[in-house]
Amino acid sequence: MRLRPFALAEPGSVSEALEVLSHLDGEARVIAGGTALVPTLRLGLVAPDRLVSLHRIPALTDVRVEKGALELGAMTTLATLARHGAVRSGWPLLARAAERVATPAIRSTATIGGNLCYAEAASDPAPALLCLDAQVRVADRVGERVVPIAELFTGFYETAIAPGEILTGVRLPAPSAAARSGYVKFCPRSAEDKPLVGVAALFTLDASRRVETSRIGLGGVAPTPIRARSAEATLLGQSLTDAVARQAAEAAAAEADPLSDVVGSADYRREMIRVWVRRLLVALRDDRPIV
Amino acid sequence: MTLSLDFTLNGRPCQAEAPAHWTLLDLLRDGLALHGTKFGCGEGVCGTCTVLLDDEPVRSCLVLAARIRGRAVVTVEGLDREGEPNPLQVAFAKAGAVQCGFCTPGMLLSVRALLAANPAPSEHDVREALAGNLCRCTGYTKIIEAVLAIAAGR
Repeated sequence: MRLRPFALAEPGSVSEALEVLSHLDGEARVIAGGTALVPTLRLGLVAPDRLVSLHRIPALTDVRVEKGALELGAMTTLATLARHGAVRSGWPLLARAAERVATPAIRSTATIGGNLCYAEAASDPAPALLCLDAQVRVADRVGERVVPIAELFTGFYETAIAPGEILTGVRLPAPSAAARSGYVKFCPRSAEDKPLVGVAALFTLDASRRVETSRIGLGGVAPTPIRARSAEATLLGQSLTDAVARQAAEAAAAEADPLSDVVGSADYRREMIRVWVRRLLVALRDDRPIV
Repeated sequence: MTLSLDFTLNGRPCQAEAPAHWTLLDLLRDGLALHGTKFGCGEGVCGTCTVLLDDEPVRSCLVLAARIRGRAVVTVEGLDREGEPNPLQVAFAKAGAVQCGFCTPGMLLSVRALLAANPAPSEHDVREALAGNLCRCTGYTKIIEAVLAIAAGR
């Protein structure tokens, strides 16, 4: 089954891409890896007259560490994030989440920028990026703005990126070297599915082993990926006992806003948040693999 | 709108034309009459359209044909050597890893990518590498046996 015909622009730079976007009549879409957009085109859910592909812009595949921060071009593939030495050593939470997306032949093609612009509620990388305080770079013809990841997702498959803008990269400050972090993806059916519930957590403990900083990111439990801020607050200043982990998990379940769909009911999702937030926190506390 | 594409196909230079809205799978099957690569689900889930692009497995149903300029594409037709089946194909046949055969081209290319990156995979590695290749006949056991056999040089 063919895609409905469209014209294709293949600009060689971000400025040329922005120029092309600003001069179009009709509907245009920016395409990165295409693993989300092409099925949407095939189903006819979107029917643009033109695609603007970013694949010929070399700067967008750069991965580098600059002044301690990780700078990712928007076209960096999830496979690259999963195997890149600097990402694995400095931002292991992101490498782990990228490695859990779908299957090898999707990760080779799917990009971090495309993942964020698609704004899938059950994204694997998004909860990790929420924990890592990522910032996204958004360019338009006038210049660039920086959007904190927590402000990027505005609704069900909606982002703060306006028509005529392009997400060009992601910046991640270095987490504390002592931070403990992990990602758990719960799929009731098959490991390559989107998660029913995805939980990322990152925290640091002070000298007396009380929680000093905490981040919990959730996927699949609300119209967008979210930070579980009241769960995070429950942990602060506490010794991370089983009871405290349970309270945090309870708080996360309470602040989630899950949907019911074919993968699971809202009640089941809420129950699985309780289970997996608690298990992840306890496993990280004990330096154990997540069961 | 038609694109002119120069790339490497199964080790040989290739020049082809394709409408801008064609995927790599459209180009292979309809532009180049290479029917080994199958159209399954059309949304990247089933894996039967898997080919290698610069040695990495991709879903040819999701990749726009424009993306292959200057790159190397390997399809199932590129696996045999002068008409002789390649050792992977022999291992699949010997293990009884093929029934209807519709998933086999994608399986072979996913396995080829796995073995290039990891010549001695564990059973877990094989299962992970093939997680995106669905087979509704075999129950997977014989496919995994075939891959482990070739990795072990059997």
